[in-house]
Amino acid sequence: MTSPGPRTASSPRAGLPGPGERRREIETRIRRLHALANRGLWGLAIFILISIGAQRNFSFIPEISPEIRALLGPSPPIKLISIALAVYAFSALILILSRMMSGSNSYRGWSHLGYLSAFYAFYYYGEALQQNFWAVFAAGITILGLEYYQIWTHCAEALRKEKQLLASLGTPSDA
Amino acid sequence: MLRSLTAKAVVPVASAVTGFVIVCCLLLYSFIQGDLVDGAIQREVSLADTIIKSTHYSMLKSDRESLRHTISHIGRQQGVEHVRIFNKKGLIMFSADPAEVNREVDTRAAGCVECHAGPEPSASLGPMEQARRFTNEQGRHVLAITAPIFNEPGCSSGGCHFHLPEQKLLGTLDIGLSEEPLRETLATLRGRMALFCLMVLLLSVGGVCALLRRNVLLPIRELVGYANALRAGETQPLPPEGCEEIETLGRAYQELNRRLRQTTAELEKARDKGADRAGNPLPGEPPAP
Repeated sequence: MTSPGPRTASSPRAGLPGPGERRREIETRIRRLHALANRGLWGLAIFILISIGAQRNFSFIPEISPEIRALLGPSPPIKLISIALAVYAFSALILILSRMMSGSNSYRGWSHLGYLSAFYAFYYYGEALQQNFWAVFAAGITILGLEYYQIWTHCAEALRKEKQLLASLGTPSDA
Repeated sequence: MLRSLTAKAVVPVASAVTGFVIVCCLLLYSFIQGDLVDGAIQREVSLADTIIKSTHYSMLKSDRESLRHTISHIGRQQGVEHVRIFNKKGLIMFSADPAEVNREVDTRAAGCVECHAGPEPSASLGPMEQARRFTNEQGRHVLAITAPIFNEPGCSSGGCHFHLPEQKLLGTLDIGLSEEPLRETLATLRGRMALFCLMVLLLSVGGVCALLRRNVLLPIRELVGYANALRAGETQPLPPEGCEEIETLGRAYQELNRRLRQTTAELEKARDKGADRAGNPLPGEPPAP
Protein backbone atom coordinates (compact mmCIF):
# COMPACT_ATOMS: atom_id res chain seq x y z
CA MET A 1 0.00 0.00 0.00
CA THR A 2 1.29 3.42 -0.89
CA SER A 3 1.69 6.22 1.59
CA PRO A 4 -0.97 8.85 1.20
CA GLY A 5 0.75 12.14 0.60
CA PRO A 6 -0.50 15.58 1.61
CA ARG A 7 -3.55 16.64 -0.34
CA THR A 8 -5.39 19.88 -0.64
CA ALA A 9 -9.09 20.37 -0.72
CA SER A 10 -10.02 21.66 -4.13
CA SER A 11 -13.34 22.54 -5.58
CA PRO A 12 -14.87 19.88 -7.81
CA ARG A 13 -13.86 20.29 -11.38
CA ALA A 14 -14.66 18.31 -14.50
CA GLY A 15 -12.94 14.87 -14.35
CA LEU A 16 -12.10 15.18 -10.63
CA PRO A 17 -14.09 13.31 -7.94
CA GLY A 18 -16.58 15.33 -5.99
CA PRO A 19 -16.26 16.01 -2.23
CA GLY A 20 -18.55 13.09 -1.32
CA GLU A 21 -16.52 10.64 -3.33
CA ARG A 22 -13.26 12.03 -1.98
CA ARG A 23 -14.60 11.74 1.55
CA ARG A 24 -15.44 8.09 0.94
CA GLU A 25 -11.96 7.48 -0.51
CA ILE A 26 -10.33 9.08 2.52
CA GLU A 27 -12.50 7.06 4.90
CA THR A 28 -11.52 3.87 3.07
CA ARG A 29 -7.84 4.83 3.38
CA ILE A 30 -8.33 5.56 7.09
CA ARG A 31 -9.87 2.11 7.60
CA ARG A 32 -6.95 0.53 5.74
CA LEU A 33 -4.45 2.43 7.87
CA HIS A 34 -6.21 1.29 11.06
CA ALA A 35 -6.06 -2.31 9.82
CA LEU A 36 -2.36 -1.93 8.93
CA ALA A 37 -1.59 -0.51 12.38
CA ASN A 38 -3.44 -3.44 13.99
CA ARG A 39 -1.31 -5.98 12.09
CA GLY A 40 1.58 -5.27 14.45
CA LEU A 41 -0.61 -6.04 17.44
CA TRP A 42 -1.82 -9.27 15.84
CA GLY A 43 1.77 -10.30 15.18
CA LEU A 44 2.72 -9.68 18.81
CA ALA A 45 -0.38 -11.50 20.11
CA ILE A 46 0.29 -14.59 17.95
CA PHE A 47 3.95 -14.63 19.04
CA ILE A 48 2.94 -14.47 22.71
CA LEU A 49 0.53 -17.40 22.15
CA ILE A 50 3.30 -19.46 20.50
CA SER A 51 5.64 -18.50 23.37
CA ILE A 52 3.12 -19.72 25.97
CA GLY A 53 3.18 -23.07 24.18
CA ALA A 54 6.99 -23.04 24.05
CA GLN A 55 7.20 -22.17 27.75
CA ARG A 56 5.22 -25.37 28.44
CA ASN A 57 7.67 -27.22 26.19
CA PHE A 58 4.84 -27.84 23.67
CA SER A 59 3.36 -30.41 26.04
CA PHE A 60 0.04 -30.27 24.14
CA ILE A 61 1.58 -31.80 21.02
CA PRO A 62 2.66 -35.46 20.89
CA GLU A 63 6.34 -36.15 21.55
CA ILE A 64 8.60 -36.78 18.58
CA SER A 65 8.86 -40.53 18.18
CA PRO A 66 12.28 -42.22 17.79
CA GLU A 67 11.28 -43.21 14.24
CA ILE A 68 10.68 -39.59 13.24
CA ARG A 69 13.92 -38.60 14.96
CA ALA A 70 15.75 -41.28 13.02
CA LEU A 71 14.12 -39.98 9.83
CA LEU A 72 14.97 -36.34 10.51
CA GLY A 73 18.45 -37.05 11.83
CA PRO A 74 20.25 -35.41 14.74
CA SER A 75 19.48 -31.81 15.65
CA PRO A 76 22.04 -29.10 14.83
CA PRO A 77 24.38 -28.27 17.74
CA ILE A 78 22.63 -26.02 20.27
CA LYS A 79 25.52 -23.54 20.19
CA LEU A 80 25.08 -23.19 16.43
CA ILE A 81 21.34 -22.50 16.86
CA SER A 82 22.15 -19.86 19.51
CA ILE A 83 24.73 -18.19 17.25
CA ALA A 84 22.16 -18.20 14.42
CA LEU A 85 19.63 -16.59 16.79
CA ALA A 86 22.08 -13.81 17.75
CA VAL A 87 22.97 -13.15 14.07
CA TYR A 88 19.28 -13.20 13.10
CA ALA A 89 18.30 -10.79 15.91
CA PHE A 90 21.12 -8.41 15.00
CA SER A 91 20.33 -8.35 11.27
CA ALA A 92 16.57 -8.10 11.86
CA LEU A 93 17.02 -5.09 14.17
CA ILE A 94 19.37 -3.38 11.72
CA LEU A 95 16.86 -3.93 8.88
CA ILE A 96 13.95 -2.61 10.94
CA LEU A 97 15.92 0.50 11.94
CA SER A 98 16.93 1.11 8.32
CA ARG A 99 13.29 0.74 7.20
CA MET A 100 12.32 3.21 9.93
CA MET A 101 14.95 5.60 8.62
CA SER A 102 13.68 5.35 5.04
CA GLY A 103 10.04 5.80 6.17
CA SER A 104 8.92 2.51 4.66
CA ASN A 105 5.38 1.33 5.41
CA SER A 106 5.87 -2.39 4.89
CA TYR A 107 5.19 -4.81 7.74
CA ARG A 108 7.53 -7.82 7.91
CA GLY A 109 6.21 -9.21 11.18
CA TRP A 110 4.74 -12.35 9.62
CA SER A 111 8.09 -13.57 8.30
CA HIS A 112 9.71 -12.80 11.67
CA LEU A 113 6.96 -14.83 13.32
CA GLY A 114 7.96 -17.74 11.09
CA TYR A 115 11.69 -17.39 11.88
CA LEU A 116 11.06 -17.14 15.62
CA SER A 117 8.77 -20.17 15.58
CA ALA A 118 11.50 -22.05 13.69
CA PHE A 119 13.97 -21.19 16.48
CA TYR A 120 11.51 -22.54 19.07
CA ALA A 121 11.11 -25.68 16.92
CA PHE A 122 14.87 -26.20 16.58
CA TYR A 123 15.46 -25.80 20.32
CA TYR A 124 12.53 -28.14 20.99
CA TYR A 125 13.96 -30.74 18.63
CA GLY A 126 17.41 -30.31 20.22
CA GLU A 127 15.80 -30.69 23.70
CA ALA A 128 17.20 -27.34 24.81
CA LEU A 129 14.05 -25.22 24.70
CA GLN A 130 13.83 -24.67 28.45
CA GLN A 131 17.37 -23.26 28.67
CA ASN A 132 16.95 -20.99 25.64
CA PHE A 133 13.29 -20.01 25.82
CA TRP A 134 13.89 -16.55 27.27
CA ALA A 135 16.49 -15.68 24.63
CA VAL A 136 14.03 -16.42 21.78
CA PHE A 137 11.24 -14.67 23.68
CA ALA A 138 13.33 -11.51 24.25
CA ALA A 139 14.41 -11.52 20.60
CA GLY A 140 10.80 -11.92 19.44
CA ILE A 141 9.39 -9.23 21.69
CA THR A 142 12.11 -6.79 20.61
CA ILE A 143 11.82 -7.50 16.88
CA LEU A 144 8.01 -7.65 16.72
CA GLY A 145 7.72 -4.71 19.14
CA LEU A 146 9.92 -2.59 16.90
CA GLU A 147 8.02 -3.76 13.80
CA TYR A 148 4.81 -2.71 15.53
CA TYR A 149 6.29 0.64 16.57
CA GLN A 150 7.52 1.27 13.02
CA ILE A 151 4.18 0.50 11.39
CA TRP A 152 2.25 2.29 14.14
CA THR A 153 4.26 5.55 13.84
CA HIS A 154 3.90 5.42 10.06
CA CYS A 155 0.15 4.82 10.27
CA ALA A 156 -0.35 7.48 12.99
CA GLU A 157 1.38 10.04 10.76
CA ALA A 158 -0.64 9.03 7.69
CA LEU A 159 -3.89 9.00 9.72
CA ARG A 160 -3.21 12.49 10.99
CA LYS A 161 -2.80 13.71 7.40
CA GLU A 162 -5.94 11.89 6.24
CA LYS A 163 -7.97 13.33 9.11
CA GLN A 164 -6.70 16.84 8.31
CA LEU A 165 -7.74 16.27 4.72
CA LEU A 166 -11.14 15.02 5.80
CA ALA A 167 -11.59 18.07 8.02
CA SER A 168 -10.63 20.37 5.14
CA LEU A 169 -13.44 18.88 3.06
CA GLY A 170 -15.90 20.02 5.72
CA THR A 171 -18.92 18.15 7.09
CA PRO A 172 -21.10 16.09 4.71
CA SER A 173 -23.84 18.73 4.93
CA ASP A 174 -21.40 21.35 3.53
CA ALA A 175 -20.96 19.26 0.42
CA MET B 1 4.35 12.39 23.98
CA LEU B 2 5.38 9.88 21.27
CA ARG B 3 5.20 12.66 18.66
CA SER B 4 8.11 14.53 20.20
CA LEU B 5 11.50 14.39 18.50
CA THR B 6 13.11 12.88 21.61
CA ALA B 7 10.65 10.00 21.75
CA LYS B 8 10.89 9.35 18.02
CA ALA B 9 14.67 9.24 18.13
CA VAL B 10 15.23 7.49 21.46
CA VAL B 11 12.44 4.85 21.62
CA PRO B 12 13.55 2.73 18.60
CA VAL B 13 17.25 2.94 19.47
CA ALA B 14 16.66 2.19 23.15
CA SER B 15 14.34 -0.73 22.33
CA ALA B 16 16.71 -2.23 19.75
CA VAL B 17 19.78 -1.90 22.00
CA THR B 18 17.94 -3.16 25.10
CA GLY B 19 16.45 -6.13 23.29
CA PHE B 20 19.68 -7.15 21.59
CA VAL B 21 21.79 -6.82 24.74
CA ILE B 22 19.23 -8.92 26.68
CA VAL B 23 19.14 -11.60 23.95
CA CYS B 24 22.96 -11.75 23.85
CA CYS B 25 23.23 -11.89 27.65
CA LEU B 26 20.66 -14.71 27.83
CA LEU B 27 22.46 -16.68 25.11
CA LEU B 28 25.84 -16.04 26.71
CA TYR B 29 24.46 -17.15 30.08
CA SER B 30 23.09 -20.31 28.45
CA PHE B 31 26.51 -20.99 26.84
CA ILE B 32 28.38 -20.44 30.11
CA GLN B 33 25.86 -22.52 32.07
CA GLY B 34 26.29 -25.36 29.58
CA ASP B 35 30.09 -25.10 29.77
CA LEU B 36 30.07 -25.07 33.58
CA VAL B 37 27.73 -28.09 33.76
CA ASP B 38 29.87 -29.94 31.20
CA GLY B 39 32.98 -29.12 33.26
CA ALA B 40 31.29 -30.34 36.46
CA ILE B 41 30.27 -33.58 34.71
CA GLN B 42 33.82 -34.13 33.42
CA ARG B 43 35.21 -33.59 36.93
CA GLU B 44 32.65 -36.01 38.34
CA VAL B 45 33.52 -38.62 35.70
CA SER B 46 37.21 -38.25 36.69
CA LEU B 47 36.26 -38.58 40.34
CA ALA B 48 34.24 -41.74 39.61
CA ASP B 49 37.17 -43.11 37.63
CA THR B 50 39.50 -42.36 40.55
CA ILE B 51 37.15 -44.15 42.96
CA ILE B 52 36.89 -47.20 40.69
CA LYS B 53 40.68 -47.34 40.27
CA SER B 54 41.39 -46.84 43.97
CA THR B 55 38.90 -49.56 44.95
CA HIS B 56 40.10 -51.89 42.21
CA TYR B 57 42.44 -53.83 44.47
CA SER B 58 39.81 -54.25 47.20
CA MET B 59 37.34 -55.49 44.60
CA LEU B 60 39.90 -57.89 43.14
CA LYS B 61 40.63 -59.31 46.57
CA SER B 62 36.93 -59.22 47.44
CA ASP B 63 37.87 -57.17 50.54
CA ARG B 64 34.34 -56.04 51.31
CA GLU B 65 35.23 -54.45 54.65
CA SER B 66 37.89 -52.23 53.10
CA LEU B 67 35.54 -51.35 50.22
CA ARG B 68 32.75 -50.48 52.65
CA HIS B 69 35.08 -48.17 54.59
CA THR B 70 36.35 -46.48 51.45
CA ILE B 71 32.81 -45.82 50.19
CA SER B 72 31.72 -44.62 53.62
CA HIS B 73 34.66 -42.17 53.86
CA ILE B 74 34.02 -40.81 50.38
CA GLY B 75 30.35 -40.35 51.28
CA ARG B 76 31.29 -38.22 54.29
CA GLN B 77 33.17 -35.75 52.09
CA GLN B 78 31.58 -32.31 51.94
CA GLY B 79 29.48 -31.94 48.79
CA VAL B 80 29.05 -35.69 48.21
CA GLU B 81 25.33 -36.41 48.37
CA HIS B 82 25.47 -40.13 47.72
CA VAL B 83 27.89 -42.82 46.60
CA ARG B 84 26.93 -46.39 45.98
CA ILE B 85 28.02 -49.45 44.05
CA PHE B 86 25.40 -51.81 42.74
CA ASN B 87 25.80 -55.10 40.95
CA LYS B 88 24.65 -56.07 37.48
CA LYS B 89 21.19 -57.00 38.76
CA GLY B 90 20.73 -53.55 40.27
CA LEU B 91 21.19 -54.58 43.90
CA ILE B 92 23.03 -51.99 46.00
CA MET B 93 26.11 -53.76 47.42
CA PHE B 94 27.93 -50.81 49.01
CA SER B 95 26.66 -47.37 49.91
CA ALA B 96 27.68 -44.43 52.06
CA ASP B 97 24.17 -44.67 53.50
CA PRO B 98 23.98 -48.12 55.17
CA ALA B 99 20.17 -48.08 54.91
CA GLU B 100 20.43 -48.37 51.14
CA VAL B 101 22.46 -51.59 51.12
CA ASN B 102 20.67 -54.61 49.61
CA ARG B 103 17.98 -52.36 48.16
CA GLU B 104 17.18 -52.86 44.49
CA VAL B 105 17.54 -50.00 42.02
CA ASP B 106 14.72 -49.29 39.58
CA THR B 107 16.15 -49.66 36.04
CA ARG B 108 13.55 -47.18 34.78
CA ALA B 109 14.78 -44.44 37.11
CA ALA B 110 16.88 -41.53 35.80
CA GLY B 111 20.50 -42.57 35.52
CA CYS B 112 19.55 -46.21 34.77
CA VAL B 113 17.07 -45.80 31.92
CA GLU B 114 19.78 -44.36 29.61
CA CYS B 115 21.41 -47.82 29.41
CA HIS B 116 18.30 -49.90 30.04
CA ALA B 117 16.07 -48.20 27.45
CA GLY B 118 16.37 -51.04 24.92
CA PRO B 119 15.92 -54.80 25.35
CA GLU B 120 19.72 -55.19 25.68
CA PRO B 121 21.32 -52.78 28.17
CA SER B 122 23.99 -50.59 26.61
CA ALA B 123 27.48 -50.97 28.07
CA SER B 124 28.96 -47.75 26.73
CA LEU B 125 27.67 -44.22 27.15
CA GLY B 126 29.37 -40.86 26.76
CA PRO B 127 30.03 -38.83 29.93
CA MET B 128 27.09 -36.49 29.17
CA GLU B 129 24.66 -39.40 28.88
CA GLN B 130 25.93 -40.85 32.15
CA ALA B 131 25.01 -37.67 34.00
CA ARG B 132 21.67 -36.76 35.51
CA ARG B 133 20.44 -33.76 37.48
CA PHE B 134 17.70 -34.08 40.05
CA THR B 135 16.48 -32.92 43.46
CA ASN B 136 16.99 -35.54 46.18
CA GLU B 137 14.69 -36.37 49.10
CA GLN B 138 16.38 -33.70 51.23
CA GLY B 139 15.44 -31.11 48.60
CA ARG B 140 19.05 -30.58 47.50
CA HIS B 141 20.00 -30.26 43.84
CA VAL B 142 22.29 -33.11 42.80
CA LEU B 143 24.44 -33.74 39.76
CA ALA B 144 25.04 -37.49 39.60
CA ILE B 145 26.81 -39.83 37.26
CA THR B 146 26.78 -43.58 36.88
CA ALA B 147 30.09 -45.14 35.88
CA PRO B 148 30.21 -48.76 34.76
CA ILE B 149 32.69 -51.16 36.39
CA PHE B 150 33.93 -53.35 33.55
CA ASN B 151 35.20 -56.90 33.73
CA GLU B 152 38.99 -57.18 33.41
CA PRO B 153 41.27 -60.18 32.87
CA GLY B 154 42.27 -60.06 36.55
CA CYS B 155 38.65 -60.19 37.63
CA SER B 156 37.66 -63.21 35.57
CA SER B 157 40.77 -65.21 36.43
CA GLY B 158 41.03 -64.28 40.11
CA GLY B 159 41.31 -67.13 42.56
CA CYS B 160 39.19 -65.67 45.34
CA HIS B 161 36.05 -65.07 43.34
CA PHE B 162 35.43 -65.12 39.65
CA HIS B 163 33.39 -63.61 36.89
CA LEU B 164 32.82 -65.20 33.53
CA PRO B 165 35.16 -63.76 30.86
CA GLU B 166 32.19 -63.01 28.56
CA GLN B 167 30.52 -60.91 31.29
CA LYS B 168 31.21 -57.33 30.18
CA LEU B 169 29.87 -55.41 33.14
CA LEU B 170 30.38 -56.27 36.81
CA GLY B 171 28.54 -53.42 38.41
CA THR B 172 28.01 -49.67 38.47
CA LEU B 173 29.29 -46.87 40.62
CA ASP B 174 26.72 -44.14 41.24
CA ILE B 175 28.01 -40.89 42.70
CA GLY B 176 26.08 -37.69 43.24
CA LEU B 177 27.60 -34.33 44.12
CA SER B 178 25.77 -31.28 45.41
CA GLU B 179 24.96 -28.71 42.74
CA GLU B 180 24.95 -25.87 45.27
CA PRO B 181 28.47 -24.53 44.42
CA LEU B 182 27.58 -24.58 40.72
CA ARG B 183 24.29 -22.83 41.41
CA GLU B 184 26.05 -20.19 43.53
CA THR B 185 28.53 -19.55 40.71
CA LEU B 186 25.66 -19.25 38.20
CA ALA B 187 23.75 -16.89 40.52
CA THR B 188 26.86 -14.67 40.83
CA LEU B 189 27.25 -14.78 37.06
CA ARG B 190 23.59 -13.82 36.58
CA GLY B 191 23.97 -10.85 38.90
CA ARG B 192 27.13 -9.66 37.17
CA MET B 193 25.59 -10.05 33.73
CA ALA B 194 22.47 -8.15 34.78
CA LEU B 195 24.70 -5.37 36.10
CA PHE B 196 26.76 -5.36 32.91
CA CYS B 197 23.55 -5.33 30.85
CA LEU B 198 22.26 -2.35 32.84
CA MET B 199 25.54 -0.47 32.45
CA VAL B 200 25.62 -1.07 28.66
CA LEU B 201 22.03 0.09 28.38
CA LEU B 202 22.59 3.20 30.48
CA LEU B 203 25.71 4.04 28.50
CA SER B 204 24.20 3.49 25.05
CA VAL B 205 20.75 4.97 25.68
CA GLY B 206 22.20 7.77 27.84
CA GLY B 207 24.84 8.47 25.18
CA VAL B 208 22.27 8.67 22.39
CA CYS B 209 20.03 10.93 24.52
CA ALA B 210 22.93 13.21 25.51
CA LEU B 211 24.26 13.56 21.95
CA LEU B 212 20.79 14.09 20.57
CA ARG B 213 20.03 16.75 23.17
CA ARG B 214 23.36 18.53 22.68
CA ASN B 215 23.47 18.42 18.87
CA VAL B 216 19.84 18.44 17.78
CA LEU B 217 17.33 19.32 20.46
CA LEU B 218 19.06 22.37 22.01
CA PRO B 219 19.88 24.02 18.63
CA ILE B 220 16.25 23.41 17.52
CA ARG B 221 15.00 24.94 20.76
CA GLU B 222 17.25 27.96 20.16
CA LEU B 223 15.91 28.24 16.61
CA VAL B 224 12.33 28.08 17.91
CA GLY B 225 13.20 30.84 20.42
CA TYR B 226 14.75 32.91 17.64
CA ALA B 227 11.68 32.47 15.39
CA ASN B 228 9.40 33.43 18.29
CA ALA B 229 11.50 36.54 18.99
CA LEU B 230 11.22 37.59 15.34
CA ARG B 231 7.48 37.01 15.43
CA ALA B 232 7.19 39.09 18.60
CA GLY B 233 8.78 41.99 16.70
CA GLU B 234 12.22 42.09 18.30
CA THR B 235 14.45 44.03 15.97
CA GLN B 236 17.88 42.50 16.35
CA PRO B 237 17.80 39.01 17.90
CA LEU B 238 20.91 36.95 17.15
CA PRO B 239 20.46 33.77 15.08
CA PRO B 240 21.52 30.52 16.85
CA GLU B 241 25.06 29.22 16.35
CA GLY B 242 26.89 25.92 16.71
CA CYS B 243 25.22 23.65 14.17
CA GLU B 244 25.63 24.30 10.45
CA GLU B 245 22.10 23.41 9.35
CA ILE B 246 20.51 25.36 12.19
CA GLU B 247 22.78 28.36 11.49
CA THR B 248 21.73 28.31 7.81
CA LEU B 249 18.08 28.11 8.83
CA GLY B 250 18.58 30.97 11.32
CA ARG B 251 20.27 33.16 8.69
CA ALA B 252 17.43 32.39 6.25
CA TYR B 253 14.90 33.51 8.89
CA GLN B 254 17.00 36.64 9.51
CA GLU B 255 17.09 37.46 5.79
CA LEU B 256 13.36 36.78 5.46
CA ASN B 257 12.70 39.02 8.43
CA ARG B 258 14.94 41.77 7.01
CA ARG B 259 13.15 41.66 3.64
CA LEU B 260 9.77 41.62 5.33
CA ARG B 261 10.70 44.68 7.38
CA GLN B 262 12.08 46.42 4.30
CA THR B 263 8.92 45.68 2.32
CA THR B 264 6.75 46.79 5.23
CA ALA B 265 8.76 50.02 5.52
CA GLU B 266 8.46 50.67 1.79
CA LEU B 267 4.74 50.06 1.93
CA GLU B 268 4.44 52.38 4.93
CA LYS B 269 6.41 55.02 3.07
CA ALA B 270 4.25 54.63 -0.05
CA ARG B 271 1.11 54.85 2.07
CA ASP B 272 2.38 58.00 3.82
CA LYS B 273 3.24 59.49 0.44
CA GLY B 274 -0.23 58.63 -0.81
CA ALA B 275 -1.78 60.21 2.27
CA ASP B 276 0.35 63.39 1.78
CA ARG B 277 -0.75 63.58 -1.84
CA ALA B 278 -4.36 63.22 -0.83
CA GLY B 279 -3.99 66.07 1.68
CA ASN B 280 -1.98 68.44 -0.67
CA PRO B 281 -2.89 67.65 -4.27
CA LEU B 282 -0.42 68.69 -6.97
CA PRO B 283 -1.48 71.49 -9.38
CA GLY B 284 -3.94 70.07 -11.92
CA GLU B 285 -4.76 67.05 -9.68
CA PRO B 286 -8.31 66.80 -8.26
CA PRO B 287 -8.46 66.77 -4.41
CA ALA B 288 -9.09 63.45 -2.70
CA PRO B 289 -12.75 62.81 -1.86
